[in-house]
Amino acid sequence: MSRALLSVEGLRVGFRSAGGGVVEAVRGVDFSVAAGEAVGIVGESGSGKSLSMLAAMRLLGTPARVTGGRVLFDGEDLLAADEKRMRALRGRDIAMVFQDPQSSLNPALTIGRQITDVVREHRGVSSAEARRIAAEALERVGIRDAGRRLASYPHEFSGGMRQRALIAMAIACRPRLLIADEPTTALDVTVQAQIVDLIAELRRELGLTIVFISHNLQLVAEIVDRVVVMYGGKVVEDGPVEAIERAPRHPYTILLKACVPSLFGPVGPLTAIEGAPPRLGRLPAGCPFSPRCPHVIEPCTSEMPALIAEAGHRTACWRPR
Amino acid sequence: MTGPILSLRCVSKSFPQGGLFDRLLGRDSRLVALDDVSLDVMRGDVVGIVGESGSGKSTLAGLAVGLARPTSGEVLFDGQSMAELMRDHAGPWRRRVQMVFQDSSSALNPRKSVARCLGETLALRGVPAGQRQNEIADLLTRVGLGPEIGPRLPHELSGGQRQRVGLARALAMKPEVLIADEPVSALDVSLQAQVINLLSRLTRELGLTLLFISHDLALVRTLCSRIVVMRKGTIVEQGPCLDVLDRPQHPYTQAFIAAVPKGLAGRRTPLPVRADAVAPETREDIHGAA
Repeated sequence: MSRALLSVEGLRVGFRSAGGGVVEAVRGVDFSVAAGEAVGIVGESGSGKSLSMLAAMRLLGTPARVTGGRVLFDGEDLLAADEKRMRALRGRDIAMVFQDPQSSLNPALTIGRQITDVVREHRGVSSAEARRIAAEALERVGIRDAGRRLASYPHEFSGGMRQRALIAMAIACRPRLLIADEPTTALDVTVQAQIVDLIAELRRELGLTIVFISHNLQLVAEIVDRVVVMYGGKVVEDGPVEAIERAPRHPYTILLKACVPSLFGPVGPLTAIEGAPPRLGRLPAGCPFSPRCPHVIEPCTSEMPALIAEAGHRTACWRPR
Repeated sequence: MTGPILSLRCVSKSFPQGGLFDRLLGRDSRLVALDDVSLDVMRGDVVGIVGESGSGKSTLAGLAVGLARPTSGEVLFDGQSMAELMRDHAGPWRRRVQMVFQDSSSALNPRKSVARCLGETLALRGVPAGQRQNEIADLLTRVGLGPEIGPRLPHELSGGQRQRVGLARALAMKPEVLIADEPVSALDVSLQAQVINLLSRLTRELGLTLLFISHDLALVRTLCSRIVVMRKGTIVEQGPCLDVLDRPQHPYTQAFIAAVPKGLAGRRTPLPVRADAVAPETREDIHGAA
């Protein structure tokens, strides 16, 4: 595998709590993404999956801040870069697509204007050239009659088309890294399938490196090469997609797969994970999954296990399967 | 032979579209949410109503529970016309059909404790004050919650616990029909299974008729005996759940099933060739060939 394009090292994110202390939501996250690789980050709400990437892109809102770690993009520490440098990188080298296409677009500006603004900002081209690039990007994401559609407003697009327009905006500056944060969660299943196909196709054609954040392991496994599973602000497992799908080693990953019903095979009661995901500020000592884990042993409740790598498959568990 | 507990006959429902301005100008248009839908639900049936946004599945739920009236057609509850029943807003029929909503946090009053919320529901059913404490404890046990939940406020509960309270409140009325509108879609994956297993157990134990409204085909397959597939206000296919999902006849059902994420089985990009997946001798062969 080629060298890492993105490398997250010991990243910590905390919120200032009402009592004046700091509540940690991302607690020492390490993973890397090789150039050309597609990596899925899977976790439930509160696992820290979105927060990690927002922190890496320096997009955290006021109550949250990075309390430790490094984020290297092509060798450059993003957490040490100044705001001007970040503005240049975001949108040009690193593009992001978010869950809700409605709130990611300005309702008062045409789709064309919103794409050309980004193109002109980052590529320094004439407005005519920017329009040509914008039309080409819209065309590429499968919007028919793209030249005319530039004049449309977001409300004239369906949810799926809006997400396509945002992906067009993301690829218009030919980024090296695309971060997609639950890009299909707000969409219908049939539209979701189209958007996932589109992302897979763009990856092939443009050689994009992708970070795909989702709560849905089944969905992620359709397009990524490697899966990072997060729980309670920690990476609990990280491995090739086949290993995670066929031979997961962390009890959480195993149960997460078991509690999702299939469209095939025998029907029976679902395997449920007892309890609920930990709440921020009430994380248990030791492994965050220990209160719900059926295989818990002594060190689990007192000491967090390290992420141990074995043939490119990392697991943070005292009793991996 | 008893008839269906719930019956929709050629039911349509449309809503006025556009703002007041449009209507004042006589630019009247209507959004057809349900278009000539007929459906019989037999006592004890566990029916999954599936569809995507705009399919009319939630509109159907609203009509079945008597929250809305059809624009045309007729809804029958246990053989009686819903239109007639609805003249008595708080009539005894209300108790017989209850609903569980998607968003448990907005379906519960944030200022009332769980015990108070359940207590008020029991009072509506006419349970004497002296018996309510016991019934509240029974209801909580039934949905898998401990008595310590009673004094808590909704925001002090997890999403899964809140959804159980919503279910307990519906059960407090001793309904015959339960209508659950996307009851688990706001929950984390690891909590969905808990609530689905609970619904499955309760319908069996209490002999409930359940209308389970969902966009998740795999959940419906796990829980339901019958499935109704909806699209754009019409029923495109219905039948025994496994028959329909394993051998879908309608192209839309087929497309819907094809679109469900399937993990490695639904792989859209080729699996990467991994260096450590290649056996050493094979590696030598490759070198030799080159």
